[in-house]
Amino acid sequence: MREVFLPRTLDELWDLLRRRPEAVIYAGGTDVLVKLRAGLIAASSLICLERIEDLQGVRDQGDEVYIGAATTHRTLLADPVIQEHFPILIQALSVLGSPPVRNMGTIGGNVVTASPAGDTLPPLYVLDAEVEVRWSDGAKRLPLSQFILGPGKTSLGPGQLLAGVWLRKSADYNVHHFEKVGQRKALAIAVVSLAALLKVSDSGRIDQVRLAWGSVGPTVMRSGEVESALEGRVISRETLDQAAALAQTAVSPIDDIRASGAYRRTVAGNLLLRLINYAR
Amino acid sequence: MPDDRIPQIGVVFPRTDALTKVRGEERFAADYYGRDLVWAGVKRAGIPHARLKSLDVDQARQVPGVIAVLTHRDIPGENRQGVVRKDQPVLVDDKVRHAGDALALVLAESKSALAAALKCIMCELEPLPGVFDPEQALADGAPLVHEDNPEGNILLKAEVKTGGDESVWDECAAVIEACFETPHQEHCFLETESGWAKVEPDGKIVIVASTQAPFRDRTEVAPVLGQDPTSIRVIAPYTGGAFGGKDGITVQSLLGLAALHAQGRPVKMWWDREESFVAGTKRHPARMYYRLGAKTDGTLHAIDVRLYLDTGPYDHLGGAVMTQAVEHSGGPYRIPHARLRGWSVYTNNPIGGAFRGFGVVQVTAAMEQMMDLLAVKLGLDPVQLRLKNAVRCGDKNCVGVTLTGSAGLEECLEKMARHPYWQNRQIWIQAAGSLKRRGVGLAAVMHAMGYGTVVPDVANAQVELTLEGKIRVYSGVVDMGQGNAATNLQIAGSILGQAPGQMELVQPDTDRTLPSGSASASRCTYTFGNALIGAAQALKERILQRASDLLMAAGPDELVLVSGLVRRVTTGQDIPLAVLAKWLTDTERIAVYRFRAPVAQERPAKDEQVRLHGLPHCIFSYGAHLAMVEVDELTGAVEVQGYLAITDSGRVLNPQTYEQQIHGGIVQGLGYALSEDFRVADGRIQTSDLATYIIPTAMDVPEMLSIPVEINEPTGPFGLKGVGEVAMNGPLPAVANAVAAACGGRCFSFPLTSERVLQVMTFES
Ligand SMILES: Cc1cc2nc3c(=O)[nH]c(=O)nc-3n(C[C@H](O)[C@H](O)[C@H](O)COP(=O)(O)OP(=O)(O)OC[C@H]3O[C@@H](n4cnc5c(N)ncnc54)[C@H](O)[C@@H]3O)c2cc1C
Repeated sequence: MREVFLPRTLDELWDLLRRRPEAVIYAGGTDVLVKLRAGLIAASSLICLERIEDLQGVRDQGDEVYIGAATTHRTLLADPVIQEHFPILIQALSVLGSPPVRNMGTIGGNVVTASPAGDTLPPLYVLDAEVEVRWSDGAKRLPLSQFILGPGKTSLGPGQLLAGVWLRKSADYNVHHFEKVGQRKALAIAVVSLAALLKVSDSGRIDQVRLAWGSVGPTVMRSGEVESALEGRVISRETLDQAAALAQTAVSPIDDIRASGAYRRTVAGNLLLRLINYAR
Repeated sequence: MPDDRIPQIGVVFPRTDALTKVRGEERFAADYYGRDLVWAGVKRAGIPHARLKSLDVDQARQVPGVIAVLTHRDIPGENRQGVVRKDQPVLVDDKVRHAGDALALVLAESKSALAAALKCIMCELEPLPGVFDPEQALADGAPLVHEDNPEGNILLKAEVKTGGDESVWDECAAVIEACFETPHQEHCFLETESGWAKVEPDGKIVIVASTQAPFRDRTEVAPVLGQDPTSIRVIAPYTGGAFGGKDGITVQSLLGLAALHAQGRPVKMWWDREESFVAGTKRHPARMYYRLGAKTDGTLHAIDVRLYLDTGPYDHLGGAVMTQAVEHSGGPYRIPHARLRGWSVYTNNPIGGAFRGFGVVQVTAAMEQMMDLLAVKLGLDPVQLRLKNAVRCGDKNCVGVTLTGSAGLEECLEKMARHPYWQNRQIWIQAAGSLKRRGVGLAAVMHAMGYGTVVPDVANAQVELTLEGKIRVYSGVVDMGQGNAATNLQIAGSILGQAPGQMELVQPDTDRTLPSGSASASRCTYTFGNALIGAAQALKERILQRASDLLMAAGPDELVLVSGLVRRVTTGQDIPLAVLAKWLTDTERIAVYRFRAPVAQERPAKDEQVRLHGLPHCIFSYGAHLAMVEVDELTGAVEVQGYLAITDSGRVLNPQTYEQQIHGGIVQGLGYALSEDFRVADGRIQTSDLATYIIPTAMDVPEMLSIPVEINEPTGPFGLKGVGEVAMNGPLPAVANAVAAACGGRCFSFPLTSERVLQVMTFES
C-alpha cells in the first residue's frame, strides 16, 4: 500500500513536500508508473499534480505564452493559441505516444523526464523555451537548455517544482517541420527526430534556421555549424547534402535495442534532406 | 436481447460472445479468483544453460505469508512433459536449459508475499557453455542440450525426395540459390498464460486454464502428479488469444502441483508479460537454404531445400512444426524433382512452439521470394510464373501427394491478375511522392489442414435437447477468440431450426464435453463442424420422429422444427420443445457423433517418425496475396499502403468471422514482416517486453481487402476448409517482394526494419 496525495493548491503542495520530503511527485504518471512497476524507483508516497489549477492550461500573455506544467498533451493539441503560434509543437505532440498516453501525459512530465527521445523537447529547444521553477518561497526562470542537464537529469533541486514553460511568439519562421523516426507509427519512442524552424524567402533562400535533433546524444542536440551551413543558401539537394554530412559528424548517438548508433547518425543527416520539400 | 433469427449458413451470424466480452462479463481463465485464494508463482533460471548444484528454499519458506515452496523433489510423478517427446521438466532437476526454466514453485497468501519469497530462493547454478545457433548446434563438439539424446542436438530430421538425381539440375535453364533467415515471433496474446486450480473434497483436481487443448493437457498433467487422467478435470473458457502459444502445457502442471499443497484452497497462477516472454513458446526461427531450377518458360523443374529450425531446449511441437515446414517448402507448385530436408535442432534459446502458421510461415517466406527472384531472372511476370506452376486438383504437390481435395490457387491468382491493385500498379508506383519509392509484391500461399496421417484428427460432438426445451451444444474445441463457439451455434441452429436465444453453449470441459482435439491446425470448424452436423442431424431426426409418433402423424415429413417448437405443417399443431423433451428419456435427448478427418495414403518420407509428426496432409487452403508498399529513401521506413488477400478456404459459413481470420492473419504477418524483431543474445531475450518488441498498432495497418474464392470442399462441413492460418503466410513474402521491387535490392534477414531496408538501399545506390 502506498499513500497518494491530491493537493488542490500550490500551498497544499508545499506543505505536503515539507511533511513528505521523500514523496515522488507526478502529473500524468505515464513515466512514473512505468518506473514504479519496473522497480526502477521506490516511492512510499506519491503526490499528484493533476488537481492544482495553477499548473493547468495555456495562458496567452501577449508576446509570450505560458503553459502550465501539468497541462496534458491532448489539451495542448486542442489549444488555439498553440495551434496558431507553435505548429511545430503540435506536430510533435500529435505523434507522441497514443491517444490514451496523450490524455494522461503532460508537458511538464515530458520535460522533467528529460529523455533525449522526449518528443516535445526538440520543438521546445528550437523555440528557445524557458522554464519556470518554483519552490515554497521562490521562483526562477531559466532557458530549457540549462534546465536539462543530461538523460533523466535536470537542475531541479529538492522541494522544487517545474511550474510551467514559457514560449515566445515569433512570426519569423514560415516553415515548422518536425519528423520523428520510430519503429512504428504510434507508441513509438523516437529513434531519431528532427525539429526545424525555417524562414524561407520567396526565392527559396533560407534566411533563418534553427535545428534540433532528438535521440542522437545525451540531450537534445543543436548545431550552430549545421545551421550556418544552411543560412543564406537556397534550398537544394546539394546544400542539404552538405548540411547532412556535417550533421552526421556533429551527432553522438549510441547503439541500443531500437537502432544502431550508425543508423541514427545516417538518418540524423538524412532527415535534413526532407527540407527539399520546402524548396520554392 | 437474444437474437430471434434462425441462423443460416453463409450469412453473418453475430458472435454469441461479443456482448459478454464487450461488457467485461465473459470469464476468462485469468478472471478466476475465489475465497481463500492462494497465489502461485515460479522462480525462473535467468541463465540459459547451467547445472543445478543446489537449491536453498529455507529462507523463502520463512517469508510471512508463504504457504509452501516446492522443488522437483515434491513432484509425485514424472518430472517431464511435452506434447510429443517428453523432454521438459516441470521444475528443473538436473540442468537449466534456457533462461525461462522453472526452478521452484511458491504458494503464498498474497502476490506481495509471493514476490518476496521468489526473491529469497537461492540457486547454485554452475554455468555451462551454451549453444545458440541451430547449425552450430549440429557441429561436432557443440555443447549438448540433452546429453541423453542419441541424436545429439537433433530433435528430429526429415527428408523427402521425389524425381531424379542431381543430373536434373543440368536440365534447368535458370537456377536460383539463396539463404533466408526468419526470427522468433512472440504470440503477444492479450491474456497472458494463466489458470486456477483446486482439489475438490472428493479428491478431483480441477484446473481452469487458458489453453487450446484441455483433453491433451489432462493426459500431460496426470503423469506429473502421479494421478489417473480421469481424476483431473480441465475446464477451458474462451481464451484471450492463443495463436498456438497455449497449445501445450504452460501453467497447468504447476497449478496441479500447487493445488495438491493448498489444502483444498483455490490456487491462481498468472504470468505477467515479462514472464510470458521469457517462459512462453515462440515461433521457431529458421535458416533456410534454397535452390530452385526452372525451364526457360518458367516451368519449375527442381528444388533443393535445407531447413534449420531452432526449437530451443524442448520439443514442445518442434518436430511437427519442422515436418510441416518441409511439407510446404516447395510452395503450392508442381515440381517434379525435389529434395526437401529439415532439421529441428535443440539450442539454449527460448522454446520454439506452435504459432499460427506452424512452420509454413517460414518456408513460404523463402519460397515466394525465390519465385520472384526466378521471375526477375527469366524476365517473366510474377503472376504468370505462379499460375504456370500452380497446383490443381489431381496434381502432385511438392512432396508427391496427389491432391484430391479442392484446390483453388489458380482461381485466386487469376482473380489477383484481374484486380485493379495489380492491373493499375504502374500508375500507383509512379505516383510515389518526393523521397519515396513504391513497389507491389505478391505471394501465393497454401496451408494444410489437420494433424496429418497418424495422430487421429477426430472430433466428438454432442447436442442435447434440454428439459427446458433448449438446444445445448457441447463444444469440444476451445474458442480462443476466433469465433468457433458461435459458429457451432450457427451450425446447430441452422440444422435444428433454432434461434440463438433457444440455444446454449457448453465450453470445453473434460467432465462435460467430449474429446475433440486441440484448437489448432486450421481444423476447429472443419473437424468439429463435421461432427456437429452429424450430431445435430441425429437429434433432429429423433425429435421429429418422436413428435410424429406423439401426434400420430403419418411420418416425420409432416413436421418441421422452428424456434422453440415442432410444428405439424399439415394441421398447424405446435408442440413446444419443452413439452416434447419430457416425453424423451435422458439418453434420447442427447445425440453424439464422431468424425475423423480423411488422411493421405502416400508415404513421401521413408522415416516413420516423420509420418508420425504429420507429413503428409491431404487437404489444403490456398491464397494469393498482394502488398503495396512505400519505402522512405531517407529512413528506410516501409509503409504498407494497401493489402489484398484472395483466399480459397472453401465455402464461407460466416463472412464476418471469415474476414476477421484473414485480417488477423495479415496483421500478425505484417508485424512479422516489418517490426517484430525478436532479439536473443546468448540465450537471453533482449526485447523482453512490449516496449521493445514492436507489434503493429492500428496505425500501422492498411486497409485490407479480403476476397473469398468459394470453391466447395466436398469433405468439409457445408463445403468449408480451414481459414485460421492460411493468411498468416502471405504478408512477409508479399511485403518483401514489394520492398525488393521498390528498392532494387533484397534483404535476406527479417523483419524488414527501417535499418535493414536503408542498408539495402544504400548498397544498391
Ligand atoms: C505507452 C507509452 C508511450 C509513450 N510514448 C511516448 C512518446 O512517443 N514520446 C514521448 O516523448 N514520451 C512518451 N512516453 C512517455 C511519457 O508519456 C511522456 O514523457 C509524458 O509527457 C510524461 O508526462 P507525465 O505527466 O505522465 O509524467 P509523470 O510520469 O507524471 O512524471 C514524469 C517525471 O516528471 C516528474 N514531474 C512531472 N511533473 C513535474 C513537475 N511539474 N515538476 C517537477 N517534476 C515533475 C515526475 O516526478 C517524474 O520524474 C510514453 C509513455 C508510455 C507509458
